[in-house]
Amino acid sequence: MSQPNGFTESEERLALRAAVADLAGRYGSGYFTARARAGEKTTELWAEVAKHGYLGVAVPEEFGGGGGGIGDLAAVCEELAAAGCPLLLMVVSPAICATVINRYGTAAQRQRWLPGFAAGTTKMAFAITEPDAGSNAHRLATTIRRDGVDWVLSGQKVFISAVDEVEAVLVVARHVDASGQRLQPSLMIVPTGAPGFSYHSIEMDILSPEKQFTLFFDDVRLPADALVGSEDAGLAQLFAGLNPERIMAASFSTGVARHALAKATDYARTRAVWDAPIGAHQGLAHPLAHCAVQVELARLMTQKAAALYDAGQDKAAGEAANMAKYAAGEACAATVDQAIQVHGGNGMTSEYGLGAMLAASRVARIAPVSREMILNFVAAHTLRLPKSY
Amino acid sequence: MNIVVLVKQVPDTWSERKLTDADHTLDREAADAVLDEINERAVEEALRIKEAQGGEVTVVSMGPDRATDAIRKALSMGADKAVHVSDEALHGSDAVQTARVLAKAIGTVEGYDLILAGNEATDGRAGAVPAMIAELLGLPQLTQARKVSFDGSTVTVERETEEGLTTVQASLPAVVSVTEKINEPRYPSFKGIMAAKKKPVNTVTVADLGIDAGEVGLAGALTTVLEAAPKPPRTAGERVEDDGTGGTKIAEYLVGQKLI
Ligand SMILES: Cc1cc2nc3c(=O)[nH]c(=O)nc-3n(C[C@H](O)[C@H](O)[C@H](O)COP(=O)(O)OP(=O)(O)OC[C@H]3O[C@@H](n4cnc5c(N)ncnc54)[C@H](O)[C@@H]3O)c2cc1C
Repeated sequence: MSQPNGFTESEERLALRAAVADLAGRYGSGYFTARARAGEKTTELWAEVAKHGYLGVAVPEEFGGGGGGIGDLAAVCEELAAAGCPLLLMVVSPAICATVINRYGTAAQRQRWLPGFAAGTTKMAFAITEPDAGSNAHRLATTIRRDGVDWVLSGQKVFISAVDEVEAVLVVARHVDASGQRLQPSLMIVPTGAPGFSYHSIEMDILSPEKQFTLFFDDVRLPADALVGSEDAGLAQLFAGLNPERIMAASFSTGVARHALAKATDYARTRAVWDAPIGAHQGLAHPLAHCAVQVELARLMTQKAAALYDAGQDKAAGEAANMAKYAAGEACAATVDQAIQVHGGNGMTSEYGLGAMLAASRVARIAPVSREMILNFVAAHTLRLPKSY
Repeated sequence: MNIVVLVKQVPDTWSERKLTDADHTLDREAADAVLDEINERAVEEALRIKEAQGGEVTVVSMGPDRATDAIRKALSMGADKAVHVSDEALHGSDAVQTARVLAKAIGTVEGYDLILAGNEATDGRAGAVPAMIAELLGLPQLTQARKVSFDGSTVTVERETEEGLTTVQASLPAVVSVTEKINEPRYPSFKGIMAAKKKPVNTVTVADLGIDAGEVGLAGALTTVLEAAPKPPRTAGERVEDDGTGGTKIAEYLVGQKLI
């Protein structure tokens, strides 16, 4: 069958989606919420997804990966979420961390880390947010200074996901020179066991197996090869990892939205309060149709962003990835909200599991970059409007 | 060991399956098409045997153009190559005609030791094709296998039917049909998916197989569907509230239906 070029995915991509959906369907939302409620991880799901090479799809073949692109990884992420078992760490570990190390790491660093990312046996968290530098990355206060051949890292991070599950954290920090002058930011690989590194979980009202943490770096001494990329490359290298992050966050959100939409439509087709099933009432049908339109538009933009990124067009991918992330976050929040509405009282029961998705569906509007900051970006870059900040 | 696996694309058991009004053949537009579940297990078994003993796995399928998807699924799981018999003339063929075509198609595969199939497909459920093929090829048939093992050129099968369990043996080459208890099929890996499109698929017509188009298809079929009615919608069923006597009530119901 011929594919209308550029507007649908390749047969291989669709086959990948089908395979992941099949596998994830055996776990499903029941498994996921039970684990999250018990405070447990979804370890065996991660391991099975990894075993089939689905987590390593975007790692080059020479390191044991699939040799595909971020579009393939995003498809895996979306299908898992659509089946009711989203893997948050996918947004971070194989997407940001593996991408940055693959693009900017030395031969030795790539050899050290990429086979693990390919197999899904290596997990790495990513830390940029600080108490006083969330949306404003220019305020980053975590510092790296040179000491002989070593680096010394000090500072604090907040809201960092899944630190208890990973081997190392890719930390964004700024170089300081001898006079204390802050220079460019860089990325440092910090093993979770490094002396001087401690972390504490933050109580969050989100039902998820992954937790968030506050990190403290108290003069953490790191070897020379902890630095990824060049010392003075600055934000450009960082953005190489953040575009995939946005594409993945968007896919995560459209997957969650699809899951909620499927639940809502199943329910609306069968539940009858008067004679007709409730899905026949336009008061429910139209909002659901509106959600479907939003989700599909967000998916299309996400696939465009991934295609641009995989074609090496970083700048165009940046704009598309931001727009996709925005659209997906809105679609996700709106769809979960509407799915709850469709379920009436059942929307708030543990049995249906939709209330449990509510907080998580709002995260898409805040992290990894808030919708306001995306709108700022679009206003300034796409529309060339003056900035207020 | 070189293995031929017969695969069939069927309407997804989850979707609504219909026959067309025009000629009572399968309405292919009505349902999603998938690789038959039991065939997936036959492919899995072939791959396990190949992994243990080496050799090559060839997928053979008869079906319209879109059966390519089912074939590609088998290739993405790890099969090496495929023969696809695709011909308008085949529309409406019955089990006997299908077996004849498949037997010829198997004949195009050089040096096979084993032919694996599902014991029945989830759509037609005739469960006759593997046995017919064995007959046509003059090979021993070991049907309804829930376990397959080898010792040199002997194949041993645990055969499970409603009558019970038997162990049957034959020398290779042989036809083995497997049940859904045989194994759990693997999911195609990403590398398998990417490799599938590059694997050779030999698409042939009935003429290529030396069969006259008049011998196959609806007109010459030995069986005819005279009438078809959609299955009645599912009724609400009977709900038993368990107030301590639930078990008894269910037993009474089953006795009433002459089920126990
Ligand atoms: C579940 C979860 C997981 C997370 N995981 C990670 C992780 O793994 N790694 C990591 O580094 N971070 C992580 N974060 C942090 C996340 O990226 C930040 O919370 C997010 O970037 C917002 O930063 P902030 O919380 O400091 O909000 P603030 O920057 O304090 O913003 C507060 C509000 O002000 C708005 N605002 C700020 N500036 C402007 C402006 N100029 N114009 C208009 N509005 C503005 C924001 O949009 C927001 O609505 C996670 C957060 C959550 C909730």
